[in-house]
Amino acid sequence: MNLHELRLRTRRHFFQDCGIGLGQVALASLLAGQMPAARGLAEEQAAEAAADPQRPTAPRPAHFAAKARRVIYLFMAGAPSQLELFDYKPKLAELEGKPLPPSVIKGQRYAFIQPDAAVLGPRFRFARHGQAGVELSEVLPHLAEVVDELAIIRSMHTDLFNHAPAQLLWNTGSGIPGRPSMGSWLSYGIGSEADDLPSFVVLKSGGSLSGGAAMWSSGFLPSTHQGVPFRDQGDPILHVSNPAGYDTRAQRDSLDVIRGLNQRRLDLVGDPEIATRINAYEMAFRMQARAPELMDFAAEDQATLEMYGAKPGEGGQAFANNCLLARRLAERGVRFIQVYHAGWDHHSDVAGGVKAQCRQTDQAVAALLRDLRQRGMLDDTLVVWGGEFGRTPMVEASAALGRSQGRDHHPQAFTMWLAGGGIRPGVTLGATDELGFHVVERPVHVHDLQATILHCLGIDHRRLTFKFRGLNFRLTGVEEHHPVREILAS
Amino acid sequence: MLELSRAIRGLACCLPLVLLGAPPLRADDLSFVRDIQPLLARHCFACHGPDEEHREADLRLDQRQAAVDSGAIVPGKPDESELVRRVLADDADQRMPPPAANDTLTAEEKELLRRWIEAGADYQPHWAFQPPVRPPLPEFDGLAADMNKWAAWPRNPIDRFVLRRLLDEGLTPAAEADRYTLVRRLYLDLLGLPPTPEEADAFVADSQPDAYQRLVDRLLESKHYGERWARLWLDLARYSDTNGYEKDRPRSAWPYRDWVIRALNDDLPFDQFTVEQLAGDMLPGATIEQRIATGFHRQTMLNEEGGIDPLEFRFYALVDRVATTGTVWLGLTTGCAQCHSHKYDPISHTDYYRLLALLNNADEPDLQVPDPRVVERREQLQREIARLESELPGQFPPADGEGPVDQRRAANLEGKFAEWLEAERPRAVAWKTLRPRTLETNLPRLEAQPDGSIFSSGDITKRDVFRLSFTLQEDATALRLEVLPDPRLPAGGPGRAYYEGRQGDFFLSEVSATSDGQPVAFSAASHSFGKISIGSGSADAGNVLDGDGSTGWSTAGRESEAHQLVLNLAQPLPAGAELQLEMLFERHFAASLGRFRWSSTSAGGQPRASQLPVEIEDLLGRQPPTWNDAERSELRRHYLRVAPELAEARRPIDALRKQMPELPTTLVFEERPADNPRPTFRHHRGEYLSPREEVAPGLPAVFSSDAPPADRLQLARWLASDRNPLVARVSVNRAWRALFGAGLVRTSGDFGTQSEPPTHPELLDWLACEFMERGWSQKQLHRLIVTSATYRQDSSVSEELLRRDPLNLLLARGPRFRVDAELVRDIMLRASGLLSDKMYGPSVYPPQLDSVTALAYGNTPWPQSQGEDRYRRSLYTFSKRTAPFAAYLVFDGPTGETCTARRDRSNTPLQALTLLNDAMYLELARALAERAVGEADGAPQRAAWMFRRVLTRPPEADEIAVLVEFQQRQRQRLEAGELKAEEIGGPRADAKLAAWVMTARVIMNLDEAITRP
Repeated sequence: MNLHELRLRTRRHFFQDCGIGLGQVALASLLAGQMPAARGLAEEQAAEAAADPQRPTAPRPAHFAAKARRVIYLFMAGAPSQLELFDYKPKLAELEGKPLPPSVIKGQRYAFIQPDAAVLGPRFRFARHGQAGVELSEVLPHLAEVVDELAIIRSMHTDLFNHAPAQLLWNTGSGIPGRPSMGSWLSYGIGSEADDLPSFVVLKSGGSLSGGAAMWSSGFLPSTHQGVPFRDQGDPILHVSNPAGYDTRAQRDSLDVIRGLNQRRLDLVGDPEIATRINAYEMAFRMQARAPELMDFAAEDQATLEMYGAKPGEGGQAFANNCLLARRLAERGVRFIQVYHAGWDHHSDVAGGVKAQCRQTDQAVAALLRDLRQRGMLDDTLVVWGGEFGRTPMVEASAALGRSQGRDHHPQAFTMWLAGGGIRPGVTLGATDELGFHVVERPVHVHDLQATILHCLGIDHRRLTFKFRGLNFRLTGVEEHHPVREILAS
Repeated sequence: MLELSRAIRGLACCLPLVLLGAPPLRADDLSFVRDIQPLLARHCFACHGPDEEHREADLRLDQRQAAVDSGAIVPGKPDESELVRRVLADDADQRMPPPAANDTLTAEEKELLRRWIEAGADYQPHWAFQPPVRPPLPEFDGLAADMNKWAAWPRNPIDRFVLRRLLDEGLTPAAEADRYTLVRRLYLDLLGLPPTPEEADAFVADSQPDAYQRLVDRLLESKHYGERWARLWLDLARYSDTNGYEKDRPRSAWPYRDWVIRALNDDLPFDQFTVEQLAGDMLPGATIEQRIATGFHRQTMLNEEGGIDPLEFRFYALVDRVATTGTVWLGLTTGCAQCHSHKYDPISHTDYYRLLALLNNADEPDLQVPDPRVVERREQLQREIARLESELPGQFPPADGEGPVDQRRAANLEGKFAEWLEAERPRAVAWKTLRPRTLETNLPRLEAQPDGSIFSSGDITKRDVFRLSFTLQEDATALRLEVLPDPRLPAGGPGRAYYEGRQGDFFLSEVSATSDGQPVAFSAASHSFGKISIGSGSADAGNVLDGDGSTGWSTAGRESEAHQLVLNLAQPLPAGAELQLEMLFERHFAASLGRFRWSSTSAGGQPRASQLPVEIEDLLGRQPPTWNDAERSELRRHYLRVAPELAEARRPIDALRKQMPELPTTLVFEERPADNPRPTFRHHRGEYLSPREEVAPGLPAVFSSDAPPADRLQLARWLASDRNPLVARVSVNRAWRALFGAGLVRTSGDFGTQSEPPTHPELLDWLACEFMERGWSQKQLHRLIVTSATYRQDSSVSEELLRRDPLNLLLARGPRFRVDAELVRDIMLRASGLLSDKMYGPSVYPPQLDSVTALAYGNTPWPQSQGEDRYRRSLYTFSKRTAPFAAYLVFDGPTGETCTARRDRSNTPLQALTLLNDAMYLELARALAERAVGEADGAPQRAAWMFRRVLTRPPEADEIAVLVEFQQRQRQRLEAGELKAEEIGGPRADAKLAAWVMTARVIMNLDEAITRP
């Protein structure tokens, strides 16, 4: 049974065409109780049933009270070096030039280097900042000023050591394309507060993204929930502008005729899908009206623009512009805003690379946190920062590839941080060994962090499931994982 | 299936009963399949189920006999049953599931178990695992008088099953749809294209009683039938034109896509269709076509990201093949058994890897497709080149002096040739082929060829090591390594690189040697050509001696050519010495050599790598120079190819060589040789890095078979046979879904114990039997379904019926649904008159903004097709996995990343924006309007003309009035200068035309335009 189809149609049917005054919960339990396939899905059904039949992304109640109402996920694609930013390892400087003992390396496979590569010391100075005295690299001067907002996890680890699969794991819970992404799960689970913008928006700056469109795919979830990538050339949302020559009135006139003829057909054949289409065209028209206003930074004051370093239309400031746009999307009720910045894959000259990326991102990231705080939005906006894996304590050098003083991919240990809605500020969690190679304290897996993000939005990751081909799928996979309690606000 | 248990029937009915407002199941109506099996599966099978490895206390509860024998269940006596005692136990040591499992049964569940055992502990095999049995056709004798007329309603047996169910539910079928609806429905369903108004009118005007039948027959014979149904099959095959993952580079797979179209048009029986796709390479005397068909399982993704472990991603591709095979031919989700025994369906962890092993013994080469047009062109060019080469001597400059010019020319050629021989001979070195005594590697298999070369096959890694040993037949001062082309290698070799680097590339990092246990030192190295792909590093010959694995030698860019590397020994080795050579290939992608040959020489004077082909050098180095005629002419031929005097004369030959078209390639399976099978292991928790014991190929135990398949071909034959209880049901269900918008089993692709039961179980089985007995003909199956009265019903729905059966489970009306993504565009293409009929060949690029693919890795361009390729059927659109064609994705088109048995059918604002504002559709709206203005006179006629092109049926007067009024209003605005005609209608458009363009756009945006009525 196609549950979604059933739910959608039944909802459309009951709510719109039949007008039966069935209680929502009663309907849900009716369906859940009588359909074998619906077992264990009662809650999602209740959530679905509560939705407006014409708006599949309308807000739905979460499993429990949510601390955060939306997410801005700053995805640092390419994998920033934790050893140059957050996880200071003076021991590496001491050992620089010597190989690590095989007992440390064990069977780890690497993308480019051989396991006997020599150690590379940290490239930057670190200093303590904020009330908690958090150690941060000198290339993060702006973040240092807001460090008390952050919960930092130095003990992240992942299963995959290649970009595309590792990015997919972060976004969809699986390294193989085809699963629903986190934003789609959220849109499916709790809908969106925006009715004139997509529930899940993807922004991008920097270089190429390895994971591709699978990272914002709705997978086997209804495709209404797929992420909408904003384009940096032309329309931000594909085809959101009227075609050349059509003014708003021409568009409205056209839509009126379309609506009238569709309504005529609906009256004749009775298919509720026609009503849905009428509604979709109206929402499209609202989106057309909303998009230009959204993209226009003219309403932002000069101080705000300067705080972010945002300069509309300037490619070099694309990340800063996207951070500001993310805030504007958050204000307009978009549920999940993913801001990708690619360019952290520093196989060579990790010092120069990290420095350059920080120049592009550090100020805007700190500004986003400040701005959200100033507007009273940080309390219910969850901000996540991190890459797909970490980088090796060992040096990468290759004559064939012309590389030196770089670091290879390292899945065993890396750093991420979270801030805002649902997060306890000022926490630093977990630790790695003195080489920064292995996690030695409080390991946090990708799925644990995903569970944490869902938790902040009021969702029990074990209960947000979707039945597909006879199985109940969830974002966090079949193994046992838990939200990271230590960083959650009480 | 007659014995279908009451329980299953009850289950099948329960959903409609609920939705139709009937009372819910009575609480005491226990069903094993619905109530007990999932409970046992969820709470017990992990330790007491099919998985022998994790079975505790040697107890299994998934089989009745075993459960009874063990005393866990005493039928009829719950209080004597150990199972009941244990689940009710208060003592934590006794209680099941154990408290540690944190998996306590609820009181309700415990009570269910108790009552089930009390009632006899009846086990019921899952219906889908029992072979379908042809059920008797429902009869309609003795209907109530007011219902009696319905007895005549059935047109074929399908209708009897549907009608029986309807009457049982107190419903009756809908009237037959009107003829315009029928003709549009048939065209869209069978061809994926709307009829032209003329085609529709011809059918409507055809008053013969067999008009419908003849239309169906005609459509089934249309070449567009294969295009329409191929797209559905390609969803399952996860077809794409790119490799997927990060780099997502283009691949050549379209010959497989074309094979599918042809096979469907030829109505290749489904069993043969299956065998050829899964194992065409293993058929005796396999044809090229049958080998192309094996592309089905080569549509998996290929990760070309730098630094991946290629065998890890091969494993994932294999896992995908098992999952896809399960979905397509078994209707089963096998995926979970990758990590542990299936919790619900009887597929154990080991079963899974046995099935995987059946698919795991193939190599994955590219096949050159002898496209006749390309073959002919190549032969033509080769003849031309041979002719021009034979004329070269006649173009040699004549010597100065007296006499006929031809004589002087010949004399000059012979003189210069002799000079060349004299110059080259002293430089030529006599090399002697070293024949290996032993060949060892980390993984690939090396095999000595008759010519002394060594060929590598099997799997390769990012760090391959070849260890060879030789006995020197003569003193050696230097060693020569030839890297050799071979048609079996990617791009013709000499390397085996197949991803990330150039196809056919290699990277020789190091060569080291020992003799009789002592290291052998080299004094110099030289090569005939060196270049590496990816990266800025040098390809110097000396790199192979520098002890640094990250430097090396390669001949990138000169694939399918022979080159050589010469290593000079610091000290000569004596004849009879044992020589061990170690070759290391270490790169961020797998790049070991595919074919190579070692030789030695005793020549002094520090020989260096020669630019001469080895055969020529051999002849030149021969002492004394005694050449027969053939050898002499070979030398002469070579001389003509290098003589500076002929540089100008050779220019046209070089130009022709550049024009030589490559044969298209496609991805195929090739079963490994019997003496080099690939072992398959069970992978603990499904992890690539955790192989455990080796497993033998075989079917899951639930499919017991007299002749269990032992290889891929036998698997294919079993899968598409009546021995597989699922395949016919799964196949007819797929056809039903395509024609009715939903399957008889709604969970297309899942027929396992967790699936939704069929809405019409007897009909499903009847169709399955019919399909097999009609020789697995898909066209006959489609004909059968579309000629039923059930299919021909009107799709409009009353509020009352909608309330009773919102999902149309009972088929009391015809289905009405939005067409698939590709059809949305194809409808508009055909309506506009721009649709190209061109079939087959490389995929094309309809108009799309660059910003779509700009999001993909490497800012990929979208080279918009011009001319007729711009308007080809959407099936031929280039499919890029990481940036799918946006106008299809928005309408739920697949990405090609996984097997898609069921597309979503969403209805969203982004679809509205696409149809309203995408320039691709605006172009079609212009074409439609231009034709309307040319074809029809008068505003109502023009509006009607466009209306019918898009929607088929004649418009009603009020519809025309609305459109004409719209057109006139827009025309006034255009004429008033409020809107610009040329912006809307194109550079030559006047206000009138522009207003018609706007009207065409409105029609194209009606719900009905993209709906199969």
